[in-house]
Amino acid sequence: MENILNLISYPFVLRAIFAGVISAALLAFLGVFVVLRKMSFYSDGIAHASLAGVAAGILLSSQPLLWAMIVGIIFAILVFWLEKKTVVSVDAIIGVLFTASLALGVILMNFKSGYQPDLISFLFGNILTIQYSDIWLILITAFIAGTFMIVKYRQYLLLSLNNDLAYLSGVNLSLYQLLFYIALSVSVILGIKIVGVVLVSALVIIPVSSAKIFASSAKSLVVWSVILSEIIMLSGIFLSLALNWPTGATIVLVGAVIFFALVLFPKKSS
Amino acid sequence: MENLLEVKNLSVSFGDVNVLEDVDFVLKKGDVMTIIGPNGAGKTILVKSILGLIEHKGGVEFLGEPIIKKIDEIGYVPQRLDFDRTFPITAQELMNLVSKKADPKNMEVVCNHLEVDKLLSKKIGTLSGGQMQRVLIARAVSGNPKLLIMDEPTAGVDIGGVKSFYDIVEHLNKEHDITIILVSHEIDMVYSLANKVLCLNKKMICVGSPKEAINKNVLEKLYGGSVGPKEHTHLR
Repeated sequence: MENILNLISYPFVLRAIFAGVISAALLAFLGVFVVLRKMSFYSDGIAHASLAGVAAGILLSSQPLLWAMIVGIIFAILVFWLEKKTVVSVDAIIGVLFTASLALGVILMNFKSGYQPDLISFLFGNILTIQYSDIWLILITAFIAGTFMIVKYRQYLLLSLNNDLAYLSGVNLSLYQLLFYIALSVSVILGIKIVGVVLVSALVIIPVSSAKIFASSAKSLVVWSVILSEIIMLSGIFLSLALNWPTGATIVLVGAVIFFALVLFPKKSS
Repeated sequence: MENLLEVKNLSVSFGDVNVLEDVDFVLKKGDVMTIIGPNGAGKTILVKSILGLIEHKGGVEFLGEPIIKKIDEIGYVPQRLDFDRTFPITAQELMNLVSKKADPKNMEVVCNHLEVDKLLSKKIGTLSGGQMQRVLIARAVSGNPKLLIMDEPTAGVDIGGVKSFYDIVEHLNKEHDITIILVSHEIDMVYSLANKVLCLNKKMICVGSPKEAINKNVLEKLYGGSVGPKEHTHLR
């Protein structure tokens, strides 16, 4: 315990906690609409696709997180456009785009010789690598995406329930869908420094899926998703520090344990 | 009476298949119109086309303007709300997810009248078909619409519920001055409720007052030879 308290005094741990708390709240909030609209595959796809941006950033010695966001936004626009203009199903579009982007990332990394610790940290997350510049990027992006989603909460809730009712309530279906894809893309990418490309979609899916087991209303679903997400994030960070385990993997495992506890013992939990 | 809704030569095709051809009618303020036809006649497609939910040819004007500009003047109750039943949203929350025009006082009055107030705290996934219909009607009406469109509103509702539904429709039309379009495959509903009928079987078979528009020939075109109108006076 004393060791953990000592660790909190380190700036890198504080940066990780700060980034983690913001990302956890944002991803859980957006996750509500992802889970309700059955878009889990999209969040997984965007995380993997962002590797091309990470690789470009590393290759250009520029900020990989920023490059990942650019790739994420391009991915969002492409998915939206192909979904509208072709007869191909959206899961097939996401599947093709994210594997292509992942492959591009692997080829780009091939141009950089030697061991790539940065790449490994983006793949599996590493709280040691979170810099002040990352914190600013996370803060600004989370503020924009979070504010937008809070202001448009009712429209997105109705859109998640039924497209026809949303349209008749004056919701521009195409515009809202595109903006949600973009907001989700940048938000997912915020989390990859903490839990990594491979595991970040768990932060979108696990808290909401857990809260959905006992939530009595949409409002309680949002509130409990965010609370559970923060519990998962902070427990995961502290447990990983105490046990010297990889942080991203520990966060996800804590989330999985909470999820299965709620699934297996629903009455006790509610 | 002023024309409320004008549908001109409305046609819908999916690829090379025409599913609706040249539907043409006018609805006046205060009308109750029933759209009847067999299963697969294109009734729901017609309604969704009128609302702009399905691409179509032809014009749809509401109070002389394209209907898209007046969409918040229209209440819509879908045939079946297609949603995830594990979605934890209460009837109250669904009621609140309406366009800007919804008036809280009106919502309260409507909920009381439709006996929806007792359902408000329940999750919509736990409601029966009839309860869900009442919630959707209350939601659609709470925005003070000029036109209310209901697609097969009594499907899955028991006989008592149907009687109660007819009372509700009459009340909305007479007391709240709401013009109503009802979609049904039940021909009996025409005589119980409507002053206008539109018969549909891929194309428009008839339109007008029920007694003038419906005849043996029309019924044969709609349902084959064995069906005839039968008034359900006990439901009045």
